Amino acid sequence: MNLFKISIANLREKKLNSFLSALLLTLGIGMISLLLLLNKQLDEQFKRNLKGIDMVVGAKGSPLQVILSSIYQIDAPTGNIPLAEVNALRKNPFVKTVIPLSMGDNYQGFRILGTTPKYTEHFKAKLAEGHLYNASMEVTIGSKVARDSKLKIGDQFSGSHGLDSEGEKHEDKKYKVVGIFQPSGTVVDQLIITRLSSVWDIHEHSEGAEAPEVAEVEHADGQIHTDPEPDEEGKNVTSALIQFRNPMGLMTIPRQINDNTSMQAALPSIEINRLFSLLGVGIETLRTLALIIISIAGVSVFISLYNSLKDRKYEMALMLSMGATRTRLFLMLLIEGLSLAVIGFFVGIIASRIGLWVFSKSAEQDFHYSLGKFALLPEEIYLFFGALAIGVVAAALPSLGIYRLNISRTLAEE
Amino acid sequence: MISSNQLRFSYSAQKKFSFPDIHCNDKETLLILGQSGKGKTTLLHLLALLLTPESGEVVIAGKSVKNLTPQEITVTRAKNIGIIYQRPHFVSSLSVLDNILLSNYLANQKEDHQKARQLAEQLGFADHLSKKTNQLSQGEQQRVSIARSLMNNPNIILADEPTSNLDDDNCQRVIQLLKKQSAQIGASLVVVTHDQRLKDEFSNQVFL
Repeated sequence: MNLFKISIANLREKKLNSFLSALLLTLGIGMISLLLLLNKQLDEQFKRNLKGIDMVVGAKGSPLQVILSSIYQIDAPTGNIPLAEVNALRKNPFVKTVIPLSMGDNYQGFRILGTTPKYTEHFKAKLAEGHLYNASMEVTIGSKVARDSKLKIGDQFSGSHGLDSEGEKHEDKKYKVVGIFQPSGTVVDQLIITRLSSVWDIHEHSEGAEAPEVAEVEHADGQIHTDPEPDEEGKNVTSALIQFRNPMGLMTIPRQINDNTSMQAALPSIEINRLFSLLGVGIETLRTLALIIISIAGVSVFISLYNSLKDRKYEMALMLSMGATRTRLFLMLLIEGLSLAVIGFFVGIIASRIGLWVFSKSAEQDFHYSLGKFALLPEEIYLFFGALAIGVVAAALPSLGIYRLNISRTLAEE
Repeated sequence: MISSNQLRFSYSAQKKFSFPDIHCNDKETLLILGQSGKGKTTLLHLLALLLTPESGEVVIAGKSVKNLTPQEITVTRAKNIGIIYQRPHFVSSLSVLDNILLSNYLANQKEDHQKARQLAEQLGFADHLSKKTNQLSQGEQQRVSIARSLMNNPNIILADEPTSNLDDDNCQRVIQLLKKQSAQIGASLVVVTHDQRLKDEFSNQVFL
């Protein structure tokens, strides 16, 4: 026999009340924990891919769309820009690197990205097997692509046109897998990377092989245009990632580009902050909702203990007459509140992990991003103490009545 | 052994009680008879140290409890006095066995499972030990509360109307068990009641 045993017996005696209190706590804690997890992982994903990219140039359109499509590969590109204009940027003394990107095809929903070797250097992608693509039509694939599509080194596949797997296939020209990257936690994991020239070749070839009107329909969405001129000067790319030599570039170059060229410059830091402040409204609302639910859970613990104490007044007097001290009984009631808080916390944490898992599944399907980190966050330790505090306060308030209980009168009344 | 000396208690200016002195040696029994409103329960609570008298004193096992602190009173009560109430009350979430063992636990004594089983055998509810107390009949519940009051081998057993809710058969059974058990451990047995059926069972009687 100990206080804990009596407390648990009391909780089990009032199963539905205890269940309701624990459920509300679970909901509140689970929501907050899920928000923390999502916030942290989205933030990480966004930050990691953003690192070192000062500016993105793309066709005119929504700057956010340029950022999302070029850095995160989750939105459609705005259009094409001439490679010549991109290359002209290299001459600017403030510009350190220019990484042109060309996209428009996919394999099983994974984007095929034509770029220069600087791209993989920038993301510090290391090879797990094979070697980096060398010739046209050779590709090196990200770890997640390899896992999900079961492509191996030496395999050949044909890409589909467009950015989802429903697109028309380029059956006549096949890509060949020559290498697989190690998992890096960056966007590289979900990409099929090849030379810029592969993307040009495949579209040139298809245009050459098919009737011109078909080719026109095929490219009506304006993603990759094939130029009859094979020289680089006449080529188009989708966008380019730019790194500056120093912050001065930030002051002058975007304006220059927007004013004097057919391209538009988008600054990732500004656009992503804008995106997060948009998302932030939703997150803030959910967080407030979660806090309200937690408060209601506290009130529920309070009410159910208050009611059960009224019913158990005689029991308390009886236990006092049998030698229990008031402090001991007070502790017993505190343990009831604390047990509910602990149960609510742990079930909530587990629930948030299940929620994250479900969310991650759908995010993976839609965007190929995975959010699979289930470890306990430092913030959740604070959440734990917060839950304990709610349990203690909600249990302590009604339980203070123990100190005012008149043993003799209570025993005589019944 | 328990005795009282010129006990007085008042709930208000109109509601005052002064009680006759009582005395009950070890192994002896005492019946306190009185009609409703005569302060039977008040007297029992004074004897059980649940109330502090306005004047007068209670002597438990040869020691006056007059100048004890509330903690000392709690300890003295838990160690020396077993109380049986009119309506048996229990901690409803615990089993019959745990309710009996609760006496040991709350008095900081070692939990004596063997004694609990033995008492359950003698009092005839050994089959119900794992049940909840509200699954038992009134008579059974009263016998459980007798067992509970005996767990710490008290010096004094105080019973407040232990039989008034029971039929004749159960009344006889409970009172015989009380007498037998208190004699067995050498305790004083003080019964406060208005139940006239008990008149012939006790030789020492006090009328309020």
